[in-house]
Amino acid sequence: MKVIKIDKNQWSQGLEQLRNAFRLFGPVGNGKASSIQELAPGQAPDLTFANTRLSPKNLVFPQSEVMLNYSLDPDDPERNILKEAPKDYAPRAVIGMRPCDAKALSLVKMNFDTDQYQDPYWLNLYNATTFVGLACDAPASTCFCTTAGCGPYHEEGLDVLLVSQKDGYLAKPLTDKGDQLLKAAGWSQAADADKVIADAKAAAEARIVSKVESDSLRAADTMALYGAPFWEDISFACLNCGTCTFSCPTCWCFDIQDEAYRKKGVRIRNWDSCMFPIFTVHTTGHNPRDTKLQRVRQRFMHKLKYFVDKYDQGIMCVGCGRCVRQCPVNIDIRRVSAMMNSMASAAQCAVGGK
Amino acid sequence: MKNLLELMGIEADRIHFSWISSAESTKFVKVVNEITAKVKALGPNQRFVKQAAKVA
Amino acid sequence: MSTYTEKIREISQRLLKECKVEMVIGFRQGTLPMMNEPCIVRKPEEVERLVWDSNCGINLANYLTNRKEKIGVVAKGCDSRNIVTHILENKIKREQLVIIGVPCQGMIDKRKIAAGVQGEILSVAEADGEVTVQTAAGAQTFKKAEVLQQNCSVCTHRNPVIHDEMVAEPVAEQTGVDPYADVAAIEAMSAEERWKFFEELLAPCIRCYACRNACPLCYCPTCFVDESKPQWVGKGQDPIDVRTFHFLRAYHCAGRCTDCGACERACPVGINMRLLTKKLNKDCLALYGWEAGLAEDKRPALDTYKANDPENFIH
Repeated sequence: MKVIKIDKNQWSQGLEQLRNAFRLFGPVGNGKASSIQELAPGQAPDLTFANTRLSPKNLVFPQSEVMLNYSLDPDDPERNILKEAPKDYAPRAVIGMRPCDAKALSLVKMNFDTDQYQDPYWLNLYNATTFVGLACDAPASTCFCTTAGCGPYHEEGLDVLLVSQKDGYLAKPLTDKGDQLLKAAGWSQAADADKVIADAKAAAEARIVSKVESDSLRAADTMALYGAPFWEDISFACLNCGTCTFSCPTCWCFDIQDEAYRKKGVRIRNWDSCMFPIFTVHTTGHNPRDTKLQRVRQRFMHKLKYFVDKYDQGIMCVGCGRCVRQCPVNIDIRRVSAMMNSMASAAQCAVGGK
Repeated sequence: MKNLLELMGIEADRIHFSWISSAESTKFVKVVNEITAKVKALGPNQRFVKQAAKVA
Repeated sequence: MSTYTEKIREISQRLLKECKVEMVIGFRQGTLPMMNEPCIVRKPEEVERLVWDSNCGINLANYLTNRKEKIGVVAKGCDSRNIVTHILENKIKREQLVIIGVPCQGMIDKRKIAAGVQGEILSVAEADGEVTVQTAAGAQTFKKAEVLQQNCSVCTHRNPVIHDEMVAEPVAEQTGVDPYADVAAIEAMSAEERWKFFEELLAPCIRCYACRNACPLCYCPTCFVDESKPQWVGKGQDPIDVRTFHFLRAYHCAGRCTDCGACERACPVGINMRLLTKKLNKDCLALYGWEAGLAEDKRPALDTYKANDPENFIH
């Protein structure tokens, strides 16, 4: 598939043309922060944004989502029967999400799309969506994607990668879905731009100054990390709020709730957070993760060790930096990972030196 | 509580407090009539009512 | 380095060395501009970690709840008022604490700074009442008074109300400020406008509960929103459920809130939920002449009955 050049004057015209086939979503700013929203007719995505304040995971995984409806009406012959809630799974396209957030989708997919179980809600939305990414030329100082198995021009999880140019965009189709979107927009001017993109990519990667140290975690001893002395220091400030997990593009946990109103009921799923004490409370009242230290440790161990061991796909983090920027008490995953990693590498050196 | 509900946009006449002894039947009737008249004048409450979850 | 920082280290080191306390709770330098992290120091040689500047807005009384150790705690005016409230509510004993008082000149609102500059903030330095912000485009200087957290700009209790040590002479308290102008502006609206105002205010809420968890008053073992037997409130993003959370949380803080601003500061989406608690503060002051956390020997207004308590809300 050839790289396509989109001139500035073809941009909004093409977007409008896409509306015939897609509902369009994209970043919208309000002066303080931006978020991915559905774009009203004539509204263009704001592609000058830093990254969105919250991750766009709600596109495929809404914070609250009705799964099933049921009737409680004694006169209804179908009462108490759970029925699929009607949903709009018409084709959608997201224009201008960041490559880190797309990579996050592919990590989350490992959880929602397995051999044993395919989550219909997540997958229906995922499959209905064409993901058009915007290569990231202006990372924040808190971005550490290049050491988190990702990068500013990372293609995984995207259908099209847009590269910003002075006079428009270069669009690199990555999947058939992406190819079809470009055709639907009427963008077809082929460009020989592989070198331009490669150069821009190298320059963008060089702008990522922050890093996460995780190279020794794969081989590390799980129980040694679990019992490490630093967890009190790391967890002390934590408020046990859900800011890190809710802003994280790779956190996928949810809780299922029934809500009944007179003669109708719904089964909803809501984002949940391992930071919340009730996340693990048993029906007996016993809470196996009753302390802040245990919960904070769980979050970091899951992202940086258990996930690494289970899937062998690197850490469960794409380096978007949101948790670092948003944590109210400045708990920094880069610092935590460095502490875990240096403990692991020191242990490995000790073994190697014997 | 009344003040905070009012601040959030609940009309003042929807929330009433009274102190009525079990011996004050006439006061009870009078207060209930006053309250129902005030609430009827406002019409059905549309605020702070959840008919069904408004979520995705 | 600020003299406050030096003095906090000196006092902490002495307290730890003399075994007056087992630990000191203070702030250490954060990894981002305008962010410091609450921390514990247990050894005299670790006091070098402690810092103080205008980015210590998190309320450290929150970290004292139900602790059993002997603790040195760094406390600015509002923290000290919440410590008083904690003592009154039996969440900590006065004898357990050595309060290292910090006369406060207000905390910086990082959102105000971010709104005032273009691009990402790379570093922030303060000196002589000015705050200098470095971005890729260059340096920009603000008067500190203009970039304070809103609660700090109208604060009239900057000096600790109780303390065992002081890191400096008390600062002059602000006079002539109107702490409740923002609440009065909402009160002046119609009921419909007020309903809409809070609808918009709370729309971005993601129910992460950072406001609740940053609040030293919110120490219930299980918050009402987390109860499932009975379940008081829906757990989803329904706007009425979101509003119920904010409304009832505020109500639970009635007569207890010191307007320390930790809730608003902690919010990842910048909601000023203080407008709700401030309304209650305003009413408590007007009706009972009560401000929370000013004295250890006075029971809170909603904790006591007086024959002359106003009762004009009763028919």
